[in-house]
Amino acid sequence: MKHTGRRWVALRKLSQYLALLIFLVFFVMTRLGGERADLLALLMRLDPLAMLAQLLSSRAWVVGSSLALVTILLTVVFGRAWCGWLCPLGTVLDLFSLNRWRVRSGPPANSWRAVKYGILIVILVAALFGNLTLLVLDPLTLLFRTLTVSLWPLLDQVVLSLEIFFYRFSSLAGPISTFDSWVRPDILPIEPVQYRQVWIFAGVFVGVIALNVIAPRFWCRYLCPLGGLLGLISKAAFVRREVREDCRGCALCTDACPTGTIDPEKDYASDPSECTMCMDCLEACPRSSVVFTPSLSVAAWNEYDPNRRKVLTSIGAGVAAVALLQVDRLIGRGHPYMLQPPGGTLNDMLRKCIRCGMCMRACPTGALQPAMLEAGFEGVWSPILIPRLGYCDYACNACGQVCPVEAIPPLSLADKRLQVIGKAAINQDTCIAWAEKTDCIVCEEMCPLPEKAVRLEPKEMVREDGTVVMVQLPEVLGERCIGCGICEYKCPVEGEAAIRITAIEGEIVY
Amino acid sequence: MPKFTRREFLLSLVAGMGALAANQFLAACSRIADENGSTSTQAPTVTVKTPAEREGDSPAKEANSAPMETPIGLPDMVIARGAGGDDVSPEELVRRALVGLGGMERFVSKGANVIVKPNICVGYHSYEFAATTNPWVVGALVKLCMEAGAGKVSVMDYPFGGPPEQAYAISGIEEQVKAAGGEMVTMPRFKFVATEIPQAVDMRQCDIFDDVLKADVLINVPIAKHHSLARLTLGMKNLMGVIRDRPSIHRNLGQRLADLTSRVYPTLTVVDAVRVLQANGPTGGSLDDVRKIDTIIASPDIVAADSYASTLFGLRPDDLAYVQAGAAMGLGRSDLESLTIEEIAVGS
Repeated sequence: MKHTGRRWVALRKLSQYLALLIFLVFFVMTRLGGERADLLALLMRLDPLAMLAQLLSSRAWVVGSSLALVTILLTVVFGRAWCGWLCPLGTVLDLFSLNRWRVRSGPPANSWRAVKYGILIVILVAALFGNLTLLVLDPLTLLFRTLTVSLWPLLDQVVLSLEIFFYRFSSLAGPISTFDSWVRPDILPIEPVQYRQVWIFAGVFVGVIALNVIAPRFWCRYLCPLGGLLGLISKAAFVRREVREDCRGCALCTDACPTGTIDPEKDYASDPSECTMCMDCLEACPRSSVVFTPSLSVAAWNEYDPNRRKVLTSIGAGVAAVALLQVDRLIGRGHPYMLQPPGGTLNDMLRKCIRCGMCMRACPTGALQPAMLEAGFEGVWSPILIPRLGYCDYACNACGQVCPVEAIPPLSLADKRLQVIGKAAINQDTCIAWAEKTDCIVCEEMCPLPEKAVRLEPKEMVREDGTVVMVQLPEVLGERCIGCGICEYKCPVEGEAAIRITAIEGEIVY
Repeated sequence: MPKFTRREFLLSLVAGMGALAANQFLAACSRIADENGSTSTQAPTVTVKTPAEREGDSPAKEANSAPMETPIGLPDMVIARGAGGDDVSPEELVRRALVGLGGMERFVSKGANVIVKPNICVGYHSYEFAATTNPWVVGALVKLCMEAGAGKVSVMDYPFGGPPEQAYAISGIEEQVKAAGGEMVTMPRFKFVATEIPQAVDMRQCDIFDDVLKADVLINVPIAKHHSLARLTLGMKNLMGVIRDRPSIHRNLGQRLADLTSRVYPTLTVVDAVRVLQANGPTGGSLDDVRKIDTIIASPDIVAADSYASTLFGLRPDDLAYVQAGAAMGLGRSDLESLTIEEIAVGS
């Protein structure tokens, strides 16, 4: 049976690597991914936690989100096989198992396993009250967001540094150019797309991996809310791990189990809510006493599983937290420069955005950035548009196309071009033309509208030294401006641009 | 747990450094390393080599920043115009213009590495909106280069609005270039190298795209259109696409464009005036601002080509600051009366 076990484990690993690879390919394709948007949205729509929370919160049914039922069905049949066989974050945690550095003290008490259920209940309760902040802890959004915000810009930077270094050697200039044409623009961007506070996102990710030091798959055992949801369903999973009578109690399976759920004191039985169907025990068992067989019953409830008191506590915590967030005065007034992605409103964003970061990945200019506290604590890591860091490309509607939950509406390009994101306003105290009385015209030049929203008015002006000059003074035609922000992005004034986009909508209606 | 001993660590350190040193040494053997170093003060040797130069029968230095001599019997500039009718083919205009100049073989020798630089400034609209160079004009030039035996024809620009891959596709240029056997090339950051401009009046140093500096032939294919600061964007303005630091060039734009031109002097300038954008440039977007005049201006003299193009908009060459500065630096001639201009009517 050891032989069969090895095969199953090999098959599982193959499935894990394939799933991770597909995830990465989808990630790469998401940049500017307009036409393939339905395919790309598949990724997040397979996530039942994000889809359920989004449904509770927005009370709007996104048809594609029914795909999450596939994952549910998989779980009903095979338990948490998602976690062991498919979840890309789980695979990353297996790849960086940190087995060598494992602490001696052993894994924390079993009661810690309850934490993930707590997080799960708080997420669902908060969602019921229109809040999705804690979806930042969903494993799929966590990995996708980290790739977008931290890992890819990091990779780009490293590759660029190497290219600059090696390009200096004339014998290598040719090969480097060829290499570059392979990776850009398909895998890495030609212009850098970078995000602010990258270290926070990288830090969270590194932290999740570092927890492996305490126990293998620490995240999946104790914290992952999606794991919690699938775990609860797995209590009634059809296929389960069983131990046959002929087990001699060698405990090899207990040592092999990455989630530590094989209990020697319960005849080496395991909890289907914790078992990821990884088959490591099958491989470890010298006597083929471990079998995975069909069964029709609900598995026993453990002391760490949710009980009435814990559920009520979590619900209470969720309600209190959401109520506190919603009395935040900051979001009540809105942030004057906080801009939403084209077509989005802050209301929609808070109720629908699952924080996956696909829009930020799709945005070719890096205009869409993760919100820090601009939208209050509620809006943390939802997308906002920051024109000084990137502009909304006049020929692009990718963000709305790739958004798996329609938090950013899927506008046609023609409609997106009419979408008002904000309105430009010129600061005459810093504008080169107005203040220095020198021609600049960059904002007018850059304005992409067929009838430009910046008009140049030639006017005779007197400089400080008395010379009289004709200067083309820029003026914003407010009724035309769509707030794409390319004027603010390209404004040559150092620091704060002399032309800025102001929000036209900010307040949240509860 | 396998240990990494101190000995192993030191050994691999030495090996690594040895490899690095060897790398440097080998690179140095093949050619002097680091010719693009940003602190390099040595003047660059050649920019764009004309075929004549490579054959060695022309003094090198000046040829870099002045138009090729016009052989006896050939015009300085050719204007090809559609003789009315809607079906004038831009490709035919280009072909006839090049025949008038003595054939592409005059500019492109066998095996030459050619760069064609159209204006693909934004990726917003298709070619009808006249914000980007006509794709068939670019395609025709690529074909002519291939027919003249060019080794490689690369087409590139560095858009300011939208990513290049999007601009290449939306402008329609990518399709025509590939069909003609050319290559669309994007312009990665690491290839913009600090470059001295020895003849500069104002801008003495600038980061310029390395491929353009190294190419045998540079063919400049601007589209003629309105621009608020430069008044018109034509040949010299189109060369801004080979540098990255656009804000800095905006101050004293006319002189700085002339300075840049002196360093990356195109072998041939072909102004696309099949459709011209008369207002709301350089981005355009409204067909009301576009006028179809089916005209191609071709000349090895970039200043002359820009001078003639200005007249299409009812301006005089001296109305353009960069034409003035270019003529003053001796980069070409703006006095149209002194030029031999051949006008060709194409079609009907």
